[in-house]
Amino acid sequence: MDLHNLLQDVEIFNGLTETELAVISQICQERLVNSGETITKQGEPGGEMYIITEGFVQVSIGSGSKERILVNLGAGQIFGEMALVDKGPRSATVKAIANQTVVQVIRADDFDRTCNQNTHIGFIVMRNLASDISFKLRHRNLSETR
Amino acid sequence: MATYKVSYVITGSDHPGAILSMRDAPKVGDIVKLGNDIFEVIEVLELMPPRGDFHYFHATCRVNPSAETPDSNLQ
Repeated sequence: MDLHNLLQDVEIFNGLTETELAVISQICQERLVNSGETITKQGEPGGEMYIITEGFVQVSIGSGSKERILVNLGAGQIFGEMALVDKGPRSATVKAIANQTVVQVIRADDFDRTCNQNTHIGFIVMRNLASDISFKLRHRNLSETR
Repeated sequence: MATYKVSYVITGSDHPGAILSMRDAPKVGDIVKLGNDIFEVIEVLELMPPRGDFHYFHATCRVNPSAETPDSNLQ
């Protein structure tokens, strides 16, 4: 499946036109990650957002004996988006837990420029990013009360 | 084509749960494999109203070691 079709199944791009999806695909860079490889580390600066197109990642906070695994994310999910929204350090560590995990990387600078140049893309993606963060918060709340 | 974004939470297990995009809506009685463990869906609720082709569900699961053939093989 080509990148354009993959992006159609990603929630944050829900509502974009075919032309707009083509614009997004031009700022994506594919990265292959092996199981156990760390993609983002809690506390470090973050200048990229990631879209999982194959495989799985594990999201955790803390380290060593204080590490706490929060959730696993599969294809179609995003991570690293908080750094794009608030420009703060990484809120969690994310590592691949499946071999041949494939992520699409979007640099913050490219993301900001695209949203500024096409405000419809900016509105749709920002609205969907808010929805994704809301979904993760609801998941977290339900996990805490299980 | 509809996409079902599902929040899986596991009761009675240390498994952290998962968020996945599925082709079918989850339903009670589904058998899912998350990592090396097999779980049974025991409760499903719509987490948020659908928007466009995307639907949002939460599924509570329990450990089901007797199940051998999962409906979905997830991480």
